[in-house]
Amino acid sequence: MNILETKDLLFDYSGHKVLNGVNLEIREGERHAVIGPNGAGKTTLFNVITGSYKPSSGSIKFQGREISGMKPYQLNRMGVGRSFQITSTFAKQTVFQNARMGILSKQKVRFNPFSKVDKMHKITNETNLLLEQSNLAESADMPAGLLSYGKNRALEICLALSTDPQLVMLDEPTAGISKDETKTLVELIRKLTENKTMVIIEHDMDVVFSLADRITVLHHGEVLACDAPEVIKNDPFVKQAYLGTLEV
Amino acid sequence: MTKIWIKTLAAIILIGLLIAFPKVMGVLNTNIFIGFAIMALFAVSLNLMLGYTGLLSFGHAMFFGLGAYTTALSLKHIDNLPISMALLLGVLGAVVCAVIVSPLLVRLSGTAFSMLTLAFGQLMYIVCLKFREVTGGADGLGGFPVPDLKIPFTGGIDMTDPVNFYYFAITVLGGCILLIWRFTKTPIGSVMISIRDNDNRVDYLGFHVPSVKSLVFIVSGGFAGAAGAIYALFQNMVSTDGVLGLFTSFNPIIMTIIGGVSSFTGPIIGAGLLTILEEFLLRYTDRIALFNGLVLILMIKFAPGGIMGIWDGVYRKWFKRRTLS
Repeated sequence: MNILETKDLLFDYSGHKVLNGVNLEIREGERHAVIGPNGAGKTTLFNVITGSYKPSSGSIKFQGREISGMKPYQLNRMGVGRSFQITSTFAKQTVFQNARMGILSKQKVRFNPFSKVDKMHKITNETNLLLEQSNLAESADMPAGLLSYGKNRALEICLALSTDPQLVMLDEPTAGISKDETKTLVELIRKLTENKTMVIIEHDMDVVFSLADRITVLHHGEVLACDAPEVIKNDPFVKQAYLGTLEV
Repeated sequence: MTKIWIKTLAAIILIGLLIAFPKVMGVLNTNIFIGFAIMALFAVSLNLMLGYTGLLSFGHAMFFGLGAYTTALSLKHIDNLPISMALLLGVLGAVVCAVIVSPLLVRLSGTAFSMLTLAFGQLMYIVCLKFREVTGGADGLGGFPVPDLKIPFTGGIDMTDPVNFYYFAITVLGGCILLIWRFTKTPIGSVMISIRDNDNRVDYLGFHVPSVKSLVFIVSGGFAGAAGAIYALFQNMVSTDGVLGLFTSFNPIIMTIIGGVSSFTGPIIGAGLLTILEEFLLRYTDRIALFNGLVLILMIKFAPGGIMGIWDGVYRKWFKRRTLS
């Protein structure tokens, strides 16, 4: 079954068609990578799906329900989580407080002006558990803004997963971090997204081919190909458009 | 354990000092202190928006003013109204106003938000100025009765007595400040701070940002209304320039920035500092705003974190705590 489906998705940015009829089918439980050269429309595709932008036309279905035009908070409550290409955390708050925001939302304590948040033991315990799973427990009391870049990326993923979404969309989680850190991060992603559906935008081909069950290649706002990694590797069009210079 | 003891001890000392204040310092200083406490609550309520949620309001006087006018008007027109009811009506007036304007404001942030609050504040000012039959216009509304505080099983307590009124005002204002402090410790408090830091992320975590903002707006407005209501009882006089003017909106902002935006106690310290400065300067000159402005400029230039920011820096140096503010 498809958890996410887009049909003829079009996004027109003042005359420039950033997405030009994207048809995407994400199967439930799979790890799906979206690749493509810079400016192919990958992040825009994420933004349109997760509610930052309204699509100009076309439909987006999540678990069979039409979701195009819905707001990010509504989509999050339905079970769509996302991370950002440029780290988007609460820099002045501690790592614990960062993660707790997600847990508060997950436990539907979104609008409680009465209880003391520090005394909510269930929330505290669950936050600690999440931090442990994300290998961030040691940095729990540190302001997020003081974390190393690699840890910050881990926190970004931790936040995306904190509300326990069924569909996780990660926008270049490993961008800008070292090879060693990438390895740890990929393991973390693999561990945390178990039993979930994941869509990932990634430039690092090692990451893509080690994580993804299927790959979609985006080029000039159109889907060039969508298939298993082995097939994509050998696709002549894809090679020409994107992989050619990389000699995979 | 020791931490709790220190806290309890500090609270007892503080309460003791507050009780002893009018006996030690005399009536004049007691009245100055009430003025300070009113401004402290007003500034703390503003800081819920400015410091905690990151929304700069130039129209916070509309809640202060509405609280003051509602209390004054209800005491003038309703016979035998208990003082507590007058106070509650003042808060209610401000809350109703906040409920009405919040849908227009909560989807905005930054400059647009500030400008629109300025517009609403000025609108309220003009309405009260021109609605002379009810509000008394520029002359204001004065001489309304201030009823006794009735406590069951005891006689009434005379509220026109400055010392009695001091105890009443300090209890209400202090209670309000404690309630606001408690409010910042709730899940909504965490969400507020997160909206200030990164509202986009809050949205993506499943929180409806506009409704949180409007709750903050209403709570903040309600407490500003309480400060205004006490002000009306204290002065026994409300006028448009006194409670709704631009300076009434700017004063708590100046206090908050001088005291420190990113802390709860900052606005209280700022209010205290400006009150002391004002009392000192009044011996020499009437140009208080000139000096307030000077302090504000110096503070923004050399210590943008305010007094509490300076304290944080010292604290970090001494205890080597890693903080980011």
